[in-house]
Order: sequence, then structure tokens, then C-alpha cells
Amino acid sequence: MDDDYDDDDEHEFVSKKVEIIAQNAINSVVQGEQITYAKEKVNDWCRQIIEGCLKELAKLEKMFKYVVTCIIQQKNGCGLQTAATAFWKDDTDGLIGVEVETPTFSCIVTIFAISI
Amino acid sequence: MEIGQKDGGSNTYALEPREDKRFYPSKVKEEIKKAIDETMKDKEYNHKEAEKLSIEISNRIRDNVKNLSIDSYKIVVQTVIGEIGGQGVRIASKSLWDDKNDNWASYTFSNHSLFCTGMVFGIYYE
Repeated sequence: MDDDYDDDDEHEFVSKKVEIIAQNAINSVVQGEQITYAKEKVNDWCRQIIEGCLKELAKLEKMFKYVVTCIIQQKNGCGLQTAATAFWKDDTDGLIGVEVETPTFSCIVTIFAISI
Repeated sequence: MEIGQKDGGSNTYALEPREDKRFYPSKVKEEIKKAIDETMKDKEYNHKEAEKLSIEISNRIRDNVKNLSIDSYKIVVQTVIGEIGGQGVRIASKSLWDDKNDNWASYTFSNHSLFCTGMVFGIYYE
């Protein structure tokens, strides 16, 4: 079942595609690790990443509602842990998580897709 | 999980949740607070334990919110546990959904050693 997924089913959550969307949204902000952590800018980065995700998700025109969360933490050796659970329909709804590390901060994006 | 099942196959024709079955952020926040405060009270950050705790708290929040008997909502819970050490952290979220019926709530607990944020999203589903 490698690349053999059906693109046309508007009810199907294709995690691979959504992962790529999240990855692209992060990369467009992080730009190959060229930015360093700045607390005045984090707010904007989060917004840009999340909105980048939502815009692309909307373009998929699937029968889903989406929730996107973004966590950015400055690196100084401190630990961070995140977990998610849900009460939903297992066979139609889904989530993906993408993590990107730069020398000065780490960024975790989670996308929940809930079928309607 | 079988939210979609309707008893006896009867259709409710409901387009909106009933007033008393709505997702009220204030009520949900209370449930998140209860779950996190009880679990994290007097805890120090410990990397090994954090993973277990975050899952435990997520499950607990989900169960608490389910007990509010807001039946026609799907519930999504995300928990973040982090160590406090003077670093900057930003947690943000945004959704593409029906503003009228869908809602969210969040609560953050912190002590000298760690912070814990719980986020709950309720998505109306008939």
C-alpha cells in the first residue's frame, strides 16, 4: 500500500498528504533553519504555520473539519512532552504530528481531521 | 467508538445541539483543571515520567469531558508537559470548523519545575 491511495475520496483522511502539508508549512517559515529563536517573533511564526496548514487543508476540499495546534519551544535542554487522545470515529477521523528541529528551537505541529 | 450509531435507526432531524447538551468552555475548563491539578500536584519534571503522565492526563480529561454527557460532540484532547528552565514556549491553535456549534477550552497549570497545558476541542456531530 505504498503510494497506492485513492485521491478522489472526499471522505478519506490521507495522512501522508496532510503530513506533507504540515512539513511544507513549517519549512516555509523556518526556511532551512536560517532563523534563530526570538520571542517577539514566535507568535507570528505560530500563526503563519497554522494558517499555512489550514489554507492547504481547505484546498483539499474534503469533508473534514480541522484543528491545528503548533508548539514552539526554545532550546536550552529543557524537556517537552505532548500527547493526544480523542473520542471520535476511529475509521474516518485521524491525526498526524510533525516535528522539526532547528539549532535554536523545536516546533511540533499536530493536525486533527474530524469527518463531517 | 461508535458515536455515529443511532438507537433504533430513528432520525433526530436535529441541526443544532440542545441548549443543555452544548459544549460550554467554562464547564470543560473545570474538568481539565480537575484532571491536571489532581495529577500534577507536587510533581517535579521528570523526562521518563512525562510521557506516561501526558497520556494519563489526556485520557483523564477525555473521560471527564465525556461524563459531561455532551453526546453529539466528538472530543479531541491534547496535553503538553514541559520543563521550566527560563526558555520560551509558545502553544497556539486554530481550527477550520463551524463557529456556531464547535468550541474549545484550555487550562495551564504550572509550578516551579514544570508546566502542563490541556487543550480540548469539541466538534459537533449528529
